[in-house]
Amino acid sequence: MHKISANRKRLLAFILLGWALLFIGDRVGELQQYQGAFVAMYALAIASIILLTGYSGQLSLGHSALMAVGAYAGALSINNLKLHPVIALIIAALVAGIFGLILGIAAARLSGPYLAGTTLALAISLPTIANQFTILGGEQGILFDIGTPPTRFGEEFSQYKWFFWVSSLAALIMIWLLSNLVHSKYGRVFRALRDNQTAAQLAGINVGRQKAVAFAVSSGVAGLAGGLLVMLISGVSPSAFPLSLSFSLLTGAVVTGVYDLKGVMLGGLVLVAIPEIADSIGSRVGGSDGFTMALPGFLVSALLILAVLFTPNGPGQLLKKKM
Amino acid sequence: MLQFITAILTSLSAGAIYALMSTALVLVWRSTRVINFAQAGQAVLTTYIGYEITIRTGSYWYGLIAAILSGALIGAIIDRFFMRPIFKRIKSGPIVMIAPVVATLGLLGIIQAIIGFIWGLNYQTLAAPVSTDGYKIANTVIAFSPYNLMVLLSVTITMVLLTVLFQKTNIGLALRASAYSPEIAKLSGIKVDAVRTLGWAIAGAASGLAGMLYIPNSYLYPNGMDVLLVFGFIAAVIGGLDSLFGAVAGAMILGFAINFVATYISYKLVFPTAFVILILVLLVKPGGLFSSSKGRKD
Amino acid sequence: MIRNTRMKRISIVSAVALAGAMVLSTLPAQAADPGVTSTEIKLGLSSPQTGTVALSYGKLPKAMKAYFDYINANGGVYGRKIKLIARDDKYLPTQAATQTTNLVLNDKVFALVGALGTATHTKAYTAAQLAKNNVPDLFVNTGFSGFDNKTKYPTAFLILPSYAMEAKIIAKFIADTPTLKPQASFLIAQDDEFGIDGVNGFKLGGHTFAAAPTLYPQGSLTSALAEGALTKLSAAPGKPVIVLMGTTDTTATILKAAEKLSLTTKFNWIAGSVGGDANTLLALGVKSTTIDGVMAASFFPDAKDTTDEYVSQFMKINTKYNPGVTFDNVVLQAMNTAMLTVQALRAAGKNLTRAGVISAMETKGSTFASAGLVPLNYSKTSHVGYNGYWFGQLNAQGELKPFGGKLTAYTTDSTSTSAPVASTFVRKPIPKNGIPTN
Repeated sequence: MHKISANRKRLLAFILLGWALLFIGDRVGELQQYQGAFVAMYALAIASIILLTGYSGQLSLGHSALMAVGAYAGALSINNLKLHPVIALIIAALVAGIFGLILGIAAARLSGPYLAGTTLALAISLPTIANQFTILGGEQGILFDIGTPPTRFGEEFSQYKWFFWVSSLAALIMIWLLSNLVHSKYGRVFRALRDNQTAAQLAGINVGRQKAVAFAVSSGVAGLAGGLLVMLISGVSPSAFPLSLSFSLLTGAVVTGVYDLKGVMLGGLVLVAIPEIADSIGSRVGGSDGFTMALPGFLVSALLILAVLFTPNGPGQLLKKKM
Repeated sequence: MLQFITAILTSLSAGAIYALMSTALVLVWRSTRVINFAQAGQAVLTTYIGYEITIRTGSYWYGLIAAILSGALIGAIIDRFFMRPIFKRIKSGPIVMIAPVVATLGLLGIIQAIIGFIWGLNYQTLAAPVSTDGYKIANTVIAFSPYNLMVLLSVTITMVLLTVLFQKTNIGLALRASAYSPEIAKLSGIKVDAVRTLGWAIAGAASGLAGMLYIPNSYLYPNGMDVLLVFGFIAAVIGGLDSLFGAVAGAMILGFAINFVATYISYKLVFPTAFVILILVLLVKPGGLFSSSKGRKD
Repeated sequence: MIRNTRMKRISIVSAVALAGAMVLSTLPAQAADPGVTSTEIKLGLSSPQTGTVALSYGKLPKAMKAYFDYINANGGVYGRKIKLIARDDKYLPTQAATQTTNLVLNDKVFALVGALGTATHTKAYTAAQLAKNNVPDLFVNTGFSGFDNKTKYPTAFLILPSYAMEAKIIAKFIADTPTLKPQASFLIAQDDEFGIDGVNGFKLGGHTFAAAPTLYPQGSLTSALAEGALTKLSAAPGKPVIVLMGTTDTTATILKAAEKLSLTTKFNWIAGSVGGDANTLLALGVKSTTIDGVMAASFFPDAKDTTDEYVSQFMKINTKYNPGVTFDNVVLQAMNTAMLTVQALRAAGKNLTRAGVISAMETKGSTFASAGLVPLNYSKTSHVGYNGYWFGQLNAQGELKPFGGKLTAYTTDSTSTSAPVASTFVRKPIPKNGIPTN
């Protein structure tokens, strides 16, 4: 009884959030809709990191590569297999998930920095592989067209609003599923892996397999986020997934609390809002070229360090202190 | 035949530089159990300092000394005033694993931004102190110049010095003990904190040297050593993060693999090669090639 | 339990609040054609201001702005001052997409000018919905011939000749030059649209290389790898031709590797237009003795040729409005684009609309005065700008002089195998003081 009502409460919260987003989406301008779509996409990507690192204790620096895998899978489904965009997004998640499973199995024996190093190498090498195969479009990449909004929504329904709806809905559904996952038996298993691998093993948990599962799920989510990303820029290419994307995601995850899925939307907002804020500060303050150009990076890094120093467990920690 | 010789020579030169970076990373890892992404930023910053000194004094050697000394100083400052507070605040939970890594990432960004503020984002060049023209052997010019020789010698001497330091001196013993077992080290009267700072200082000096040796062959700009960091890290992981010898071995293996694949197969495969080597090594030995079988499990 | 729900609520509320703040901080968009008032025209530019590509093109925004400042000081365009908003896209497609969208939706520019890069701008064009909003996309800085596509990119107008055109003309040049034709030839190119377009162009030009082209991912060719590449090629007999199609930093790395291996005189060097700027190469440490004799194709007069009226006029503007920046080929190109932009705006008339500018480009664009030594090809069916090159050789001072003494420009296209033809184009004289009056 207790468990069911907690699940239902969660579902209700998500539905409420969905309606709130719908409402907001209707009231804002196109630029905010576009930015909102990015926020949702980043939130989803951050969720994948939180699942992997916060819940199962594995550190990955290569989620940009996993997003790329999903993105290319999705783009190929639309262009070569002529599938519906929604199916393409699902395929993006599945392909990335399978890739992540293989990677997770291979990396199951690796700990801490060794896993980090492997994922780092993956992040820098995967995009260049896209150049090797002409089917992947080389440096030019492949087009990813989510199509125009369905005509029944009327003339006024802008492309950006459509992006916002698709992105938010996909993110919402996926994060709800994840939320259920971490509150289930699996969540406890992952947390056991994170806290004390030896104890988990003694408790009968197949550590290698569960780590791989966590990796697979995380990759699937990242793949979906990758599909959303290329929807927003209308095409996938290797340079859309630089190493710095991996670092940004990690930043977002830490800033919003790596232990908890609740903060992901805030994380997405941070990743989108901070560069904007930095840009406007830069243009207002002026100064030499070097200054204005380096300012956004400086602000993001400073924020990251402040977050690590003062809220390593997430902003929720600050709130908890007040209660 | 000439191509083969060239490949070997260029691999040696590349591997030597990677070795300095991977050594710096291993030094920090051994003393603090942190992957210091900021090492690249430190290296570039100290190289800019060396660059300024070189320009003002007209001598590369003064710049080199300045880079090494400032590298040590900056490394020590970072440990004392940045990493230590972080460790004090974060004592429990898996965040212990991530927070320092993320913190060094943030530090990297800040250092690069500061460099951008002060020096701008343009590319600078640093002239080598000795000739960069290849030696002539039997009427053919080979891809090995006096400068390459200088780099190789510097790295070798540094490695020898470090090995002697660690294996034969009391300070070295203290460094190893503090890394391996801080509690016991403390009980023996070793000032663990100070020793750890020393580790960072040595690492900083090594990366400062790496920068000054690397830049004459490349260009100086805020992100100029990012690739070096990635390769240095991969090399360190290949060799086993606990072993200085592994750092050098890993660097050489990586350098050779990359150069040979690029020369004989395709330049496009540089990064994928690094990944393949890494994963092959880790599949066989998850702790890296030269990690000790008994050791701390992370 | 209570704490959890409260925290959940707080985080939801705070997120909604933050989103709301972003909403309220923006005013709704109005106006028939944004970016135009009676006193101002806003133009937008998304280009790499940081990164390795910025080495070649980082000077673009300020140089363009300098020319616009000059025009503003001389009456503007029918009394309207031009304001250039430049955003940094770091040569990343994601950034280009967001920055271009920002320019259109946030900064509400009237038109885009000088957008840079193929992978970047193809994404940006679609993401920012330039076609739907009929935003003029003037003088795109890329050699990608695919932008000349009225269905896909109806509002885009190219300016640079494509890399395919450049390759075809280099191919013809090699075939026509007795000292080069019998030699083996090799191509070292960047593994993206620069290089690949070039590879295709050489095929169209009927040119065969002695070995498969050496392709490297952008920014990854270290000096060690360059030395390996050159050692391999040095095995070819005679004085082989090496064509370099990449950014300036890599061209410099390759030339310096040649210096190290004493191979500078072993090869006939041909530098592609992007990486061939002599000033930058010298600044990156290449010796002037190495630059001496390097061949390059160009469609402009040399930026050091002060006898050219366009060069000297632009130099004056640069000194006054862009102080501290050395005048080089990129500055020349940027100011030329800016001058063409002003002519396009003028040609659209005092009642300035987006559709008007596009129509003016199609009907009158080919008659605009410009520094290029080859014609502009704008028409109702073609959005191609320059379509040709002349061939030159650098001297030790870094000046590009016509090869063989006489300057002959060749024009061609990007997709057919037909050979380039010698052009009889005569350039229009520069408007008085560099201020268009069209």
